[in-house]
Amino acid sequence: MTLGSSGSSVVVPRNFRLLEELEKGEKGIGDGTVSYGMDDGDDIYMRSWTGTIIGPYNTVHEGRIYQLKLFCDKDYPEKPPSVRFHSRINMTCVNHETGVVESKKFGLLANWQQRFTMEDILTQLKKEMAASHNRKLVQPPEVGAYVMFLNVNVILSLWIWGSHIIQFWY
Amino acid sequence: MGGDDAAAESATTERNAANEVNINIRCSNGSKFSVQIGLDSTVRSFKEAVAHNCDISSDQQRLIYKGRILKDDQPLQSYGLEADHTVHLVRGFSPSNTTGGTNSGGGGGGNTTTANTRGAGANEGGGLGGPGFGASPFPGLGGNNGMGGGGLNGLFGAGFPDLEQMQQPFLSNPNLMRDIMNTPAMQNLINNPDIVRNLIMNNPQMQELMDRNPELAHILNDPSTLRQTLEATRNPEIMREMMRNTDRAMSNIESSPEGFNMLRRMYENVQEPFLNATTMAGNTGNDAAAVRNQSTNPSTTNSEATSPVPNTNPLPNPWSSTGTGGGGQTNTRRSTTTGGDARQPAPTGLGGLGLPDLEGMMGGMPDTAMLTQLMQNPAISQMMQSILSNPQTMNQILGVNNEQRGMPDLNSLREVMQNPEFLRLFSSPETLQQLLSFQQTLLSQLGQQQSAQEPGQTGGGTGPLNNMGLEMLSSMFGGLGAGSLAVPNRSNEPPEQLYATQLSQLQEMGFFDTQENIRALIATSGNVHAAVERLLGNPGQ
Repeated sequence: MTLGSSGSSVVVPRNFRLLEELEKGEKGIGDGTVSYGMDDGDDIYMRSWTGTIIGPYNTVHEGRIYQLKLFCDKDYPEKPPSVRFHSRINMTCVNHETGVVESKKFGLLANWQQRFTMEDILTQLKKEMAASHNRKLVQPPEVGAYVMFLNVNVILSLWIWGSHIIQFWY
Repeated sequence: MGGDDAAAESATTERNAANEVNINIRCSNGSKFSVQIGLDSTVRSFKEAVAHNCDISSDQQRLIYKGRILKDDQPLQSYGLEADHTVHLVRGFSPSNTTGGTNSGGGGGGNTTTANTRGAGANEGGGLGGPGFGASPFPGLGGNNGMGGGGLNGLFGAGFPDLEQMQQPFLSNPNLMRDIMNTPAMQNLINNPDIVRNLIMNNPQMQELMDRNPELAHILNDPSTLRQTLEATRNPEIMREMMRNTDRAMSNIESSPEGFNMLRRMYENVQEPFLNATTMAGNTGNDAAAVRNQSTNPSTTNSEATSPVPNTNPLPNPWSSTGTGGGGQTNTRRSTTTGGDARQPAPTGLGGLGLPDLEGMMGGMPDTAMLTQLMQNPAISQMMQSILSNPQTMNQILGVNNEQRGMPDLNSLREVMQNPEFLRLFSSPETLQQLLSFQQTLLSQLGQQQSAQEPGQTGGGTGPLNNMGLEMLSSMFGGLGAGSLAVPNRSNEPPEQLYATQLSQLQEMGFFDTQENIRALIATSGNVHAAVERLLGNPGQ
């Protein structure tokens, strides 16, 4: 399937482009801090992708593993894919409620070019985490901490209930 | 690709197993190496193979492939991994996890040693505290010597419904909890969250735990967390909502990638030490126990002087208000018999006598429902234990000086509760799952009281393996539950008629103020011994 593009002399079909990116994701070419692959290997249109970013060092994101979803519609790579964070994160270019990366605030999506790849998106997001306006933002607690918070409350409540039983009995 | 050692190892492995494929590993620091493994292996074994080539232990590894975090229990081929593909390796968290595990193991050993020492003290404590403690649990234990196996089964069959009923007044009767919370002592506790923080900070194990987990320290030091906890104790609705949130959040996490590992790490690093910290509080109170034992002697002497005539009447029946018709009759007979037997063994210590007979009950596999109910005890008992092991804590909570009134009972109760079986149970790796089932059972009890009682009765006849201590506490909690239930059930009858027998006993002992006696009996749910202590402890009332 060939997509028309008057600005390019050589047009790479969408599926071949995505297959190249899939191959690169499987081989792990890169610096090792971003990873991506297809959600469903049987999807012939190869639209839904999963990515991870390891938080850069010397930032509040250090040690965290962020999961993202990238959706490449039929018009990719002419149009950028939609990017959404599955992990909770506090960044200037990410919507707090939905986790969607807003194209107006993320330069790579706002100035999309056909030669950009999903790896470029993930790598640029990682650089954005290390930028001065994002590296020190207070991050929401990881989900485990939230559950620990609830569990501590339950245990403390049971503790106080136990003391009430003692007091009531005596 | 890869170092010389990796290449040599790779060549050697290839000669031995031709069906294995080569997987490339890329670390976050940029280094790369290869591992030979079969694609049908699980991620867990793959991590162990990777651990041989780097300094990250398998439980700290986070493997990422094509944007997914690999779960330990999944086979490699389910992720589409093939030969010569690359997997990214990240260190999951700091090495402090190893230190935490070591501390937990050492703590367990210490508990075993200390518990053995306290075992001897339990007999002494039981003897000293026997006359003052609520008589209902100890007659049951003392009577075991005179009964056969059938009697024991019947006795414990009656115990489980009481265990269920102990919790129902607090969970399904908001008015009762609200009445308790409205007492001046509770108001003092609520208005000053610092008291709760002091309770937590006074525990050395809790201090150590918070040093290792700054996150936990932050939560416990947050005033809003303490206020939320106190509000939950006041309003059962908030408590139910909080438990529902926890259960929902844990279910969601478990179903997400890496979620179960996260729950397990959280449990191993935070929650298990948290529970151990409250349980091991008994160690710090060991020295104070000796002092308390000495201080109880004068109380015992005073009690003897005040009661020259021995109590020859049957003790009140703790199960009369809760048993069914037929069961009530059976319990009545056994209670009378145990009442008579209890007086003889009292001087030699009641706590240890029941253990040999209890062993005869062991046998059969406990069903899930009963095991879940048994797990409800430790959550409450270890909290009672941490309270009882610190006299200052008791004074802070009650807001009054109850040394004369409560000291003998505290010694007895604390010794009985520090049973090694509990410590072993707390250290069980299955506790996380059982905690989840505990919460679910607690929620189901709120909506279905009737169905909650039947599993207890069904499982009563079968003693769980290696749960002797739990059986003892079940009997004790049965007595507590009956005492609690007596309050709402007996409020309809006039106190003069309800406590006619107890009133005559008190008058024979020399307490001639009828109104004072009635108030004491109402406050203690008709327990003559507790009423005597109450009258002696509060001359002004």
